[in-house]
Amino acid sequence: MNRAHAIWVIYASLGCALLLMLLPLPMDWRFIRPDIATLALYYWVLALPHRVGVATAFTVGVMQDLIEGAPLGLSSPGLMLATLLLLFNYQRIRQFDLLQQSLMMLVLLILSAGVEQWLRNGIDVPAASWGGLLGLFCSMLCWIPLRSALRHSRRYYEVY
Amino acid sequence: MALQRGAVDAAGFASDIVLAPLDAWDRVAASFRSRSALQDDVLRLQQENRVLKGQAQRLASLLAENARYKTLLNSAREIEDELIAAQITSLSPDPARHVVMLDKGAADGIEAGQPVLGAEGLIGQISLAGEYNSRAVLITDSAHALPVQINRSGLRAIAEGSGAIDRLVIRHLAATTDIRVGDLLVTSGLGGRFPHGYPVARVTDVDISPGDAFAVVSAAPSSALDRGRHVLVVERAPELPTAGSP
Repeated sequence: MNRAHAIWVIYASLGCALLLMLLPLPMDWRFIRPDIATLALYYWVLALPHRVGVATAFTVGVMQDLIEGAPLGLSSPGLMLATLLLLFNYQRIRQFDLLQQSLMMLVLLILSAGVEQWLRNGIDVPAASWGGLLGLFCSMLCWIPLRSALRHSRRYYEVY
Repeated sequence: MALQRGAVDAAGFASDIVLAPLDAWDRVAASFRSRSALQDDVLRLQQENRVLKGQAQRLASLLAENARYKTLLNSAREIEDELIAAQITSLSPDPARHVVMLDKGAADGIEAGQPVLGAEGLIGQISLAGEYNSRAVLITDSAHALPVQINRSGLRAIAEGSGAIDRLVIRHLAATTDIRVGDLLVTSGLGGRFPHGYPVARVTDVDISPGDAFAVVSAAPSSALDRGRHVLVVERAPELPTAGSP
C-alpha cells in the first residue's frame, strides 16, 4: 500500500459539506436540503476505501449530530452500516453507470436515514415525516454533480 | 454535556461563517435604503411608541394598585422579570425539529430553561446554553408541551407542539369544557418554568366529535414563529429566601 498523499482534501471536502448543512432555508422547506455530507462520505468510501471507512463514517455522524443539536450518536450507526455495505461492494458499484450509481446512493441514503429514524423513535426524539423521503430524492439528484466535483478535486490534488 | 455546550458554540461560529456573506449583503442593502422609507419607518415607530407609552401608563398604575392589594393580602410581591434581548441566527438543519440558534449564551446570563418571548407572545424556551450561543426549542416542536390557561375562563390545560409551525394542540379536554374559537391561551405558571401570564396562542379550532370523551383543540401561536429575528429571553427572577433557608 502506498503512502497517503494529500488526504487533507478528503477532510476539507467533508468539512465544507458539513458547513453546507447550515445554509439557511425557510422553516418548512428544510426537508428538501440535500444531504451533501453523507454523499461526500459515500463518494470517498467508494473512491478510496483504504483511507475512508467506518471510523470516518462515525466521525461524520457525530459532527452531523453536533451541528443539528441532536443527541450524540443518532446519525452514526446508519452511516456506519451504509459505509460497511459500500466497503463490501465498492468494486461492483464503481462499475455502475451514473444513473445506477444514483439509485444505489438513494438506497444507501434510505438505509442510513431509516436507521436514524428508527433510533429517534426509540428515544422519543421527533422523527421526520414522509416528506423526508423527498429530501433523500433531492440528495440523490445531487450525486452526479457532487461526484464529478469531488472526482475533479481528487485528480487535481492527486489524493490517494 | 460539556461537549454539547461546546458544540453549540462551535455550531454558532460555523453558522456565522456560512452566513457572513448574507449578513454583509443585508448591511450593504440597509445602508442604501431610501430616505423616504426611513422617514416612513420613523413615523410608524413614533406612532407605535405613542400607543405603547399610553398603555404603559395604565400598566404602571395597575401594577401599583396590584402591589397594594398584594400587600393588603399579605402575600409575596411578584418580582418583575428581567429581559435579555437576543437574535435568532439560524434554524436547526434537522427538519423534524423546531429549534433555533440564538446569539447570546451563558456569558450574557442565559441558562437552560429560560422562556423566550417573541414580539407578541411566548415562542419557546432555552434548551442548551453554550458560552456565547444557545439553542432554543420552539413551542411548536413536537417534543415540547407547556402548561397554559384560558384567559377568559381560567381553565388550565397543556398545549403540545404539533410539529407544524402554526399549530399547537390541546388534547384531553373534556368535550363539555367551556372553550371557544378565539380564546387566548396564556402561560399558567404551573410547573414553575414559565412565569404566569404571557400570551401563548389563540384557539383556532375546537373539534368535538360526539363519540369521543375528549375535545381536540387547535391553537395558533400568537407570535409568528417563522418570522422576525429579535427575541427576548426572560431571566429567571431571583428566588425569595424562604423561612427555612440559612
